[in-house]
Amino acid sequence: MIQYYLDLARAHAALLAVALPFFGAALAAVVGHARAGWIIAVVTELAAAVIAADLCARTLADSGVGLVVAHEGLAIDADGLGVFALMVMSAASVVTAFCGLAFFRGAERAASAFSPSLMLTLSGAWSGAVLARDFTTLFVFVEVAWLSSVGLTALSAYRSRGALNGALRMAMLGGVAAALFLLGLALAERALGAATIATIASQRIGAPTMAAAGLTLMLVALLCKAGLAPMNAWAAATYGKANGFATLAVGAIGAAGAMFALTHLATAALGAPAIGAGIGFSLSVFGVASALIGSVQAIGAGNIWRLAAYSAAAQMGCVVLAVALGSPAGFEAALIQTIALCASVFALVGGAALSGVDARMTSLDGLGRRAPLAGIVMTAGALGLMGAPLTLSFLGRWRLVEAALGIGWWWVATAAIVLSLAGSYYGGRLIERIYFRHATQSLSEASDAPRWKFALAPALLAAFITIASAIDPTLLLRAASAASQMILDRAQ
Amino acid sequence: MSGVGILALLLALPVIGAALVMLFPRPPGLRDVIHIGVAIAMAAMGALLFSALQHHQAIRLALAHPLPGVELAFAVEPLGALFAVIVAGLSILHAVHTVGFVRATGTQTPARMMAFITLTAGMTIALALSANLFTLFVAYQALILAGAPLIQDRNPEDEGRAARVYLTTQLGASIGLFLPAVVWTYSLAGAAEFRAGGVLEGLVDPVSANVLLVLFVLGASMSIVPPLSSWINASSGSRWPALTSIQSLALAPAGVIAIVKIAAYVFGPALHEASFAAHALLVLCGGGAGLAALIAISRQDLSERIAYVCAAQNLSALVGALLALPAGLFAATLQVAATCCAGSTVIMACGAVAAVTGRTKAADYVGLGRVMPWTLGGFAVGSASMIGMPPFAGAWAKLWLITAAAGAGLIWAAGLVGAAAVLTFAALGPLAANALAGTPPTDAFRKPDGASIFLAAPIVIGAAATLSLLALADSLATFLSPVWTPPA
Repeated sequence: MIQYYLDLARAHAALLAVALPFFGAALAAVVGHARAGWIIAVVTELAAAVIAADLCARTLADSGVGLVVAHEGLAIDADGLGVFALMVMSAASVVTAFCGLAFFRGAERAASAFSPSLMLTLSGAWSGAVLARDFTTLFVFVEVAWLSSVGLTALSAYRSRGALNGALRMAMLGGVAAALFLLGLALAERALGAATIATIASQRIGAPTMAAAGLTLMLVALLCKAGLAPMNAWAAATYGKANGFATLAVGAIGAAGAMFALTHLATAALGAPAIGAGIGFSLSVFGVASALIGSVQAIGAGNIWRLAAYSAAAQMGCVVLAVALGSPAGFEAALIQTIALCASVFALVGGAALSGVDARMTSLDGLGRRAPLAGIVMTAGALGLMGAPLTLSFLGRWRLVEAALGIGWWWVATAAIVLSLAGSYYGGRLIERIYFRHATQSLSEASDAPRWKFALAPALLAAFITIASAIDPTLLLRAASAASQMILDRAQ
Repeated sequence: MSGVGILALLLALPVIGAALVMLFPRPPGLRDVIHIGVAIAMAAMGALLFSALQHHQAIRLALAHPLPGVELAFAVEPLGALFAVIVAGLSILHAVHTVGFVRATGTQTPARMMAFITLTAGMTIALALSANLFTLFVAYQALILAGAPLIQDRNPEDEGRAARVYLTTQLGASIGLFLPAVVWTYSLAGAAEFRAGGVLEGLVDPVSANVLLVLFVLGASMSIVPPLSSWINASSGSRWPALTSIQSLALAPAGVIAIVKIAAYVFGPALHEASFAAHALLVLCGGGAGLAALIAISRQDLSERIAYVCAAQNLSALVGALLALPAGLFAATLQVAATCCAGSTVIMACGAVAAVTGRTKAADYVGLGRVMPWTLGGFAVGSASMIGMPPFAGAWAKLWLITAAAGAGLIWAAGLVGAAAVLTFAALGPLAANALAGTPPTDAFRKPDGASIFLAAPIVIGAAATLSLLALADSLATFLSPVWTPPA
């Protein structure tokens, strides 16, 4: 009997991994209690992560056998890229959920009671988005995820009224992006004659210009939700004013979800001979723009969270460039860089929360001596942003440069190097303040230090291990490679 | 212990030593014992590896496999083993001298300085023993980061600027120039495992070879090549033991070591394909060496003067590496060895003088040799070697350099090296002569007992090492011959 239900659960693992967080969210909202909500969030995300890991292992372990595709009622497809993304996001969600306890203490009752619920909704919705089978499902999941992000940010208003500003910006820009997405959806469906993502490449496209325009509009909407420059007017306000929990949820799960969803859609579109080149070019323009504008913004950033938001935009520009290459190596680089970005956000937010530093850059001065552990974690995050050797982002950039040189896109390789140079400047600035400056502010003056610091441990550990996993990334590379190859095979 | 075990220990010892020194800053005796003990252990491991190589033992250690076809690996080959032994051996003298300096001056945060001195020496050894371009790049980056606290090691009011200049220049050059060259080489050669004859041999067209050479020399030479060398002046305000690591034992020589390895194992004969860039870089390095020596003459502050003199020596070594001849590579290797020995001796002597007399200006050295004969005697020997005066090590290195340049048909390059040597003489010769022959000052010492044995002994031994290289030149040529003789 148990075996039967276990087999049934495994057969519908993708659906379960997406649906579980939604059930958890509903339960947490009904309970309306901070501690209970936190427990529900942790348990639900843990269960979803186990299911996602099992699904990922089964799907990617033997990519030579063929595709494991599951069509579910919600119109989701568990293809190689989808399950890889699902596993990464589930892992990020577990860690974020666990961190919650460190941030809920001292928060307003409403904020601490409903934050877990919104975080679970966000996580489930982005998981659905990366597995979406068609445009409509993708749109629905993306909008649900976005609205829960807006809510989560708004709940931080107890801490700073600026969080409402961030939420308002998110709502406005998200609304514009949603309109673009709907327009693109209509154009693409009209031009392609179908709305299934996986079959874009195999469709006979009657109106390629219209199809390319429609798909590009959808991709632009996803770029806006990921926070790519210059469409990231919401990011600085959200990162800077929301509490650490919302920043982690939006900056790590949200950004990763949007990038994976974009990679998923772009992979299918780039495989279509009639429109692939045009979409690849558009993506590369957006990628270069984000990498350059984000880098310039990060270099000029006056506080830590603005720097984190802008540098994330620069890193995501790199991810988009890797996707634009349209090769297996490019997709592999994109997947690795998305994970690296996620880990860097965990390291910076976790390290800042652990030490209680505020937004000012000066609060980092002498942190290495005041709080050595937090200093190490934030340094790992900064090294990740810099793309220092033996970090995951270095591995991602190396693969990107290799892939770009492989198809003769020298300018992409140059952009990646410029991005690394800029990263070494702003990442180096963080390290310089942490270790080479004298403290001007004592820890006791820090205003926002969470009391339940132990809850940050998984985030710090995960960030550190992920960034350092580049020392021997065989397993990760194999998984990323299998995921890229499967999605490409399917697109052809 | 197996060769691989010794290599692993040699690479791990600096990290362990640095951690121990930081963990046990008190009592000072324990800290000093750890610092010197680790240096002795590193030198012993280096000597064992050198001996194993002489017995034709193949030693290779792969630590990680971060990319497909790319390993983080270290291998013991003649060039790397020689540099490792020199750096590890001189580290003992430097460690003893640092202890003496710290005790004589009551330096603040001595544990941090000692830890990073050990780390920079360790990273230089790792760089010298790297088995491929990727490992060289990783060790190079680690060395840059380990060197930053030494650049920072000075008075609080001007510490920020120096570190910023240093990190901006070094990280910018290594990421912007060295990294693209590494990835490009991998994409051309498939693998970039160092091998005699060069990994690019037969795989690179002239345009790519020229661009690659420029990227490597400007990106991987620790920014000692003009116009990137502004950090050298910025670094000269560091405390004397830190300055020894920066100018003559770890940072600056590491740049030359990296270029010598790249010239020998990445380009090899393919360097002829890059003759246009090589000639342009020869002008830059040879001219830069003369210019650095000229600037040195104008500086009264000895830390600045010595920094520029060392820069001139290192740039002369780069000239040898760029000549695309085995004789040039040998000359560059000898020049690095001579600069490490002589430069360390001179800087340690200046540090000893500063510690016990407080004198840091060239004009204040007059007659000091009469009251500090061992220290200033060592200073004079080190200076003579850097000038290129026979029979000291620098003379043979410069002779080889000039011979190799002439052999390559580049008389003008030989002229540039000669001019730099003459200008170095003008910077150091009168200074040493005045120190030894001038009227002794009446109020030389801060404390009546003068320099301790910890301060004086390393200088004397360093000077002796400078002299002993004379006898070893021939054996070294035989030992290094596999570097430029590709296996059949």
